[in-house]
Amino acid sequence: MPPRIRGSSCQPQLLLNYLEPVPSSSISPASALTPLHRPTASPSPKCSRAFSTTPAPQITKLRRAFKEWCADKGLMYRNAPYDQTNYMGFSRTRPFPENEHFKSEPVLSVRARNMIWEAIMVKGMPLKAVSAEFHVDMRRVAAVVRMMEIEKKWEREDKPLAHAYARAITAMLPRADLLEGENKFEPINDIHVHSYTTQQLFVPASESRQFTRADAAKAFGEHILPPDAKMRIPELVQMERNLVEGMEPREARGRFIKEAAESEQAFAERQRERALAAEERKTRVNTGRFEFRFEKINAENVGPTGRARKAAGWRYGAPHMDRRRGEVKIPTSVG
Amino acid sequence: MVVKIRLARFGRTNAPFYNIVVSHARTARNSRPLEVIGTYDPIPKTDLYDDSGALHKDIKLDTTRAKYWIGVGAQPTDTMWRLLSLVGILPPKYRPTAKPSPGAPRGDKTAS
Repeated sequence: MPPRIRGSSCQPQLLLNYLEPVPSSSISPASALTPLHRPTASPSPKCSRAFSTTPAPQITKLRRAFKEWCADKGLMYRNAPYDQTNYMGFSRTRPFPENEHFKSEPVLSVRARNMIWEAIMVKGMPLKAVSAEFHVDMRRVAAVVRMMEIEKKWEREDKPLAHAYARAITAMLPRADLLEGENKFEPINDIHVHSYTTQQLFVPASESRQFTRADAAKAFGEHILPPDAKMRIPELVQMERNLVEGMEPREARGRFIKEAAESEQAFAERQRERALAAEERKTRVNTGRFEFRFEKINAENVGPTGRARKAAGWRYGAPHMDRRRGEVKIPTSVG
Repeated sequence: MVVKIRLARFGRTNAPFYNIVVSHARTARNSRPLEVIGTYDPIPKTDLYDDSGALHKDIKLDTTRAKYWIGVGAQPTDTMWRLLSLVGILPPKYRPTAKPSPGAPRGDKTAS
């Protein structure tokens, strides 16, 4: 089927008329002496722009209504407030008034991010303490510090920063300044609920002994951790216990910061030891062109079938399905 | 039959990756070997957070098993001989005859 031209403004006959000027009377429907193979379109008004296929702009009912709305109710949205979102309706969190399920979550303002960066990099407070103080997730705190360090590095290197873009984006979103009276930014000590722990379980336990959360975790499975071991900032629990026992809030907070700093130092120490152990297994040989890094492994870790996953090298007899269609490569369940 | 220490090519098109294997000489390249004693990634890589552009290659090797197999007469291929000589398991086979120009960077061999 040959391509069809849509719209009435570009008809072959008109095009021919444009190329070979003829008296205008010949365009009238009365003189439609068109051959059979020409499309017998209904007569159209004379087209002033014979080459354009775009229909002339017509004011529709919708557009007229929109213009009326702009001049009347829309006036209040014309100038965006400085420190708030300019969403329609009376909500400050719903950008689409018809969709009540879509809520725009607040983002950290520049000032809040500066506060977090200063608490960590200038005052040297532990990450957990900053997270607890501002009610911002530890991972977000770490991300803010990393991003601001990159920003400051780029400023030192005179790299251009997209300030205008950042301003435009943040102006469209609700912001959190992390000030005293504000709502808490986000929950910081949530734990992941393992699917094993959602089942109902009947465990006989003697009344004479204590059945703790650790015991409950063990009842669900040997590898299930109790909530105290799963939460990101378990030191907060100890602080609350101290407060309940009547410790001064100031002292309890000081102890919490100290414990948080100690746990972070222990974590850093473990990381360092791991890196050292990995380095000890390596032999570096520099040939001038490349550095060859030989890592010592144990070839006998292949297991009884020779296909252990931790063994070095590609496995034999176990094809990689990574290119098969529909293969989900990310894990779909946890442990 | 001769036992060889050689490379078996895995990986993808334009992304080679080798298993360092001990196998009989007349078996196919990627057939199941007597033993996999390591891996060799021939694609040079840069270190994360290192702007100097220095390149390195990663090799995993069970040196104990490599020494054992050479001790019982396994024959490394030329490529494997070169790699094994870098860690001092074997003496270097090919020595550069041309003297390096004075401006060229000299590698410090710290083989264990």
